[in-house]
Amino acid sequence: MANKGVDGGRGRRPGVVNKQRGNSSQRFYMALALVIVVGAIFIVRAARAPRAIANVTTVPVTAAQAEGYLMGNPNAPVQILEFADFECPACGNFAVITEPDVRNRIVNTGLASYRFFDFPLPMHKNTMAASNAAACAADQGKFWEMHDELFRNQPEWNGESDNKDNPKKVFLGYVKALGMNTDTWEKCFDSQAHQSRILANQAEGVRRNVQSTPTFVIGKRQIPGAMSYDAFKAYVDSAAKEAPVAAKPDSAAPKPAAGSATKGSTK
Amino acid sequence: MSRRQTLALLAVVGVCIALYLTLYKIGVIGVLSCSIGSCETVNTSRWSMLLGLPIAAWGLAAYVALLLLAMVGSGEAHESSIPIARTIVALSAWSVLFSAFLTYQELFVIRAICIWCVSSALLWVVIFALSVADLRAVSRAE
Repeated sequence: MANKGVDGGRGRRPGVVNKQRGNSSQRFYMALALVIVVGAIFIVRAARAPRAIANVTTVPVTAAQAEGYLMGNPNAPVQILEFADFECPACGNFAVITEPDVRNRIVNTGLASYRFFDFPLPMHKNTMAASNAAACAADQGKFWEMHDELFRNQPEWNGESDNKDNPKKVFLGYVKALGMNTDTWEKCFDSQAHQSRILANQAEGVRRNVQSTPTFVIGKRQIPGAMSYDAFKAYVDSAAKEAPVAAKPDSAAPKPAAGSATKGSTK
Repeated sequence: MSRRQTLALLAVVGVCIALYLTLYKIGVIGVLSCSIGSCETVNTSRWSMLLGLPIAAWGLAAYVALLLLAMVGSGEAHESSIPIARTIVALSAWSVLFSAFLTYQELFVIRAICIWCVSSALLWVVIFALSVADLRAVSRAE
């Protein structure tokens, strides 16, 4: 038979044992409460902290027009803009975990259009190269496919990877896998043909006072930080209620250059 | 404080670490506080997901299970329960082995160290040692 109250002190009076047990429990619950409070404060502070601050003073304003990369119907009732950095882990998490649902259930159903804007952050070594890689893929109608590859495989090419000094080698693998013309892509990538477009997208983010990545503009609201699908859908539903029945295209997005609105394929 | 209560406390510490990493993985937390090592590299690597869930979420489930077992086992009715002691030993042994595997992946495959992941691995080692001591004590009392 188990000897109950082993820790309580054998041979002592029951009153003493109960008092000791009570004191021990009190200490335990106080310690437990302390750990929970400290942990909760740490986690809440981490969740509220800015994700990554852009160095706004180094962003040149260019003549190129910020157009982003569009997915879906530009005349959809709700316009969604995303300002993201290809090397930012939170952006990668959103792209891999939440964005597939956003595409399938919000964009593909015609509820909203989705426009991606480069917002390369200065502390990320290879993000500008990744933006160029995606922009050159857009020339061949594969922006979103490249976007997905870049976000899904950040550890293969980011500034902390084994390929940190030669991300192009990794990007070329994606170009081949996606069935693009490698010569055309390479010529575009090497000449940084779309650098001004990328900087214009970044400048649009600065103009909108984007402070962290990812940042979303859903209808009239600007929301910093990645979020769950449910939270995202709630913002879209809210924006849809605010939008007129026949929404005017692009009330939130900057005007795209003529003929450029559908750059990038729609998934 | 009894051994089971200490195990419950350590489980709460583990819950905080695993919850922190899980929230990062699902995008609620943007940047990991990581003064040593490369937490981002590890937590965006292919070993950061298992069966469609963040690996930290599996860790969170293990810590919650340990917390429940330790809390129930701390009660007067179960403080000498050998099945609870054995379940805690089994859970912590499995977690130590799995953490060792993940640490190996960090060191030799990903070649980056996440201080939070290492902390969790060390925590499981302490929990395992304490759970073995607890099992021996309740077995002797029996």
